Amino acid sequence: MRWGTRLRTLGLLLGTLAVAAVPVSGRAQTAIPAGEIIDKLSAAGDTTPDLDVAALKQQAADRVKAKADAQPLRRPLIAPLLTKLTQVRFDVLFDPDTSLIRPGSYGMIGSLADALSDPKLQPYKFLIVDHTESGGRRDANLALSQRRADSIRDVLVSTFKISGKRLVALGLGEEQLQDANKPAAPVNARAQIVAFGKPDVVEPKPAAPSAAAKKGAAPAKKKR
Amino acid sequence: MNRIRIALLVLAMCAPSLASAQALKFEEAATLLGASCGKDIDDNCRGVNFDPNRLKECLNRNQDVVSAKCQTDSTRAFSAITQRITARTTLMKLCNWEMNHLCSEFKTDPAKGLQCLLDSTKKATGNCNKAITAAGYR
Repeated sequence: MRWGTRLRTLGLLLGTLAVAAVPVSGRAQTAIPAGEIIDKLSAAGDTTPDLDVAALKQQAADRVKAKADAQPLRRPLIAPLLTKLTQVRFDVLFDPDTSLIRPGSYGMIGSLADALSDPKLQPYKFLIVDHTESGGRRDANLALSQRRADSIRDVLVSTFKISGKRLVALGLGEEQLQDANKPAAPVNARAQIVAFGKPDVVEPKPAAPSAAAKKGAAPAKKKR
Repeated sequence: MNRIRIALLVLAMCAPSLASAQALKFEEAATLLGASCGKDIDDNCRGVNFDPNRLKECLNRNQDVVSAKCQTDSTRAFSAITQRITARTTLMKLCNWEMNHLCSEFKTDPAKGLQCLLDSTKKATGNCNKAITAAGYR
């Protein structure tokens, strides 16, 4: 009985110690560890992918405007090349229909910031791509995903001082469904961070500004 | 047995201060903020994104209703983020000697310069080593 009491006391003390030694608790969303992000993204080589982001935005806007590929089940990917690039997919929770990041996802953004400021990833430039699942208006989804990608980028730049020159935001709405067999599945709303060459190597293509300046494309109007 | 109990109790009491003395990673600081202030942000700062200036200002403005835990932890989280950013921006200045003598060939390439610096810690001065630690690069 006496030993039982002692063991219980020891257990309580160890429990107190364990709780006190781990100050960060109560995670609403489990962030992908920075080490895992670094390992995956640092596998990107020196080759710069042939991806014109401004043209891609325009292409997505044009497809939505023309109401082409109306059936989500048969809708081809707007950017098949994106799936082949070195990347990490992650979840960020937003307030419904806004680009406000939920406090439960702050840790995930912090983890991205840890990874992006690691020396192994410092030479690289990254594309932050946001998506939505299928449902509601396609044009609204496209604009919303661009605002959300911008929001993630803004937090990385303003809160964690990651250089804005290294980050490009892209919203693809429901034009790049990750699981086309289940267009409304939440997996389709996962964001991506894609290694996108080196800032000193990747210079803006001459055609990019003119493509971005074309009017009528909601995502192109978003702040940058 | 009593000695063990006392030792464990002292250790348990010291653990939070030891933990708070350590620099938090961005992820840890951000998670702490989200976990401790999620409800307060929802209740008082709805519409404010994860922006240090605006969020801090909003939590301060509502400090009469913001929970004590959020007030304590948000101060700690924002401070940890700022400290790490400052440590990173001042790193090259504090390691100027090392950059000139050990990594001079990479001075024009910040990424390679930093990698060289991290590979040269054994030859680096104490101040530079402290700065590398404060920046969270090891």
